[in-house]
Amino acid sequence: MKRTAKPRLIAVDGTNAGAVLAMARRALGSPSRGGISHWDASGVFQDLAVADDAAGPPSPRTLLLLYAADLAFRLRWEIKPALAEGNTVVAAPYVETAVAFGRASGIPAGWLENLFKFAPRPTELRFAHRAVKHGKNIEGFVGFGCARMRGKPGGRTPKQIRSGAAVELRKIARRSSKR
Amino acid sequence: MSHLNGSALRLARQRARRHFSDTSRRRGLLVAFEGPDGSGKTTQRKLFKTWLKSEGYDVVTTKWNSSELIKPIIKSRKAVRALSPEEFSLLHGADFRHRVEQTILPALWDGKLVIADRFLFTGLARDVARGLDLDWVLKLYQPLLWPDLVFYFAVSPITSGKRVTATRLPNFYEAGQDVTHVEDPVESYQHFISRVIREYESLALIFNFITVDAEQSIGDQHRQIRELFLEGQRRPWSAWNVDAVADWLARTGGPR
Repeated sequence: MKRTAKPRLIAVDGTNAGAVLAMARRALGSPSRGGISHWDASGVFQDLAVADDAAGPPSPRTLLLLYAADLAFRLRWEIKPALAEGNTVVAAPYVETAVAFGRASGIPAGWLENLFKFAPRPTELRFAHRAVKHGKNIEGFVGFGCARMRGKPGGRTPKQIRSGAAVELRKIARRSSKR
Repeated sequence: MSHLNGSALRLARQRARRHFSDTSRRRGLLVAFEGPDGSGKTTQRKLFKTWLKSEGYDVVTTKWNSSELIKPIIKSRKAVRALSPEEFSLLHGADFRHRVEQTILPALWDGKLVIADRFLFTGLARDVARGLDLDWVLKLYQPLLWPDLVFYFAVSPITSGKRVTATRLPNFYEAGQDVTHVEDPVESYQHFISRVIREYESLALIFNFITVDAEQSIGDQHRQIRELFLEGQRRPWSAWNVDAVADWLARTGGPR
């Protein structure tokens, strides 16, 4: 990867994985500028997907702790080294996707804020609100989480959590645009 | 959205209070065994469990890092020494949360006695010994579930080191080699366990653990634990736990 004038961390958050990927590619522009850090680079969720159902479903909190562990991995191996070399990194998704999922599941904002305290603030924050159809069947964190939950966490069905996460993300986007 | 959430939690709180303050049913009890490796916790936990069963208690045991969902994830990453302190902490937090929701709270709800061979204090002591911030780690474990009793098995770093290394070499993370960067696992263990014990001793003061002198004989320790348990079990249900129980009821649906 070539060095750019200034290292940049661009966060692209959204509940639709196809839309996040498409926006991340646009945000990066030329691959020579840097790279994209994708969800589940650590393979934690891939491992979770093949876990025995008898173990019991993960709750939103458990899923968020795993998301944070995966993000810590991505920061250590992908994002921070690339930034140290002066490159642009697009984190797709970054923190706000998980926060939106957590808020839609009824997790207190303070807990979510503490959980992601270790993640540096991005240089730029973009939101992929529109659903994008993608050739491949891409599953993102929100889709993965909703597909694996059982019952009605916080009195909501997984479908309601999925749509609630999109609503929460719009709220986050509005707040961040005012800052 | 927040209204729905708030009412779900309010209802769950009411349900939790009603359930645990109902004196007509046997109340669940949570007893945690804490202490450094080599402090004899597991031996005492087994003796205690046998005795409780003979006394007619319905006992459930849960061990650290034992969630069927998360344990394989941690194990494979430990094997390749791929975990940073943050990842180590977060994955163990996920394992703990899953066990709280799937094993501990359902058993307590059913009036069982849960023995936890290590509890969240293990995560706190080890993670802080790895250089993480206590406040950050403690909040990962929220909503906090407080045991009715915490037995802390106190040994010196030297005793812990002697007992652990008598039959085997400590593994990479047990020896804290990820943070000490000392090549010899035995030497690393001595450094690391000293830090862990220091953190445990602070936690014992803050959270009012019952300290058991784990340097005394196995029989003496067991007798002491029985006596302390008989005194401690009469305590009323801790209202501190209402948030943890309500969170479980609201977000997972509660008892299946």
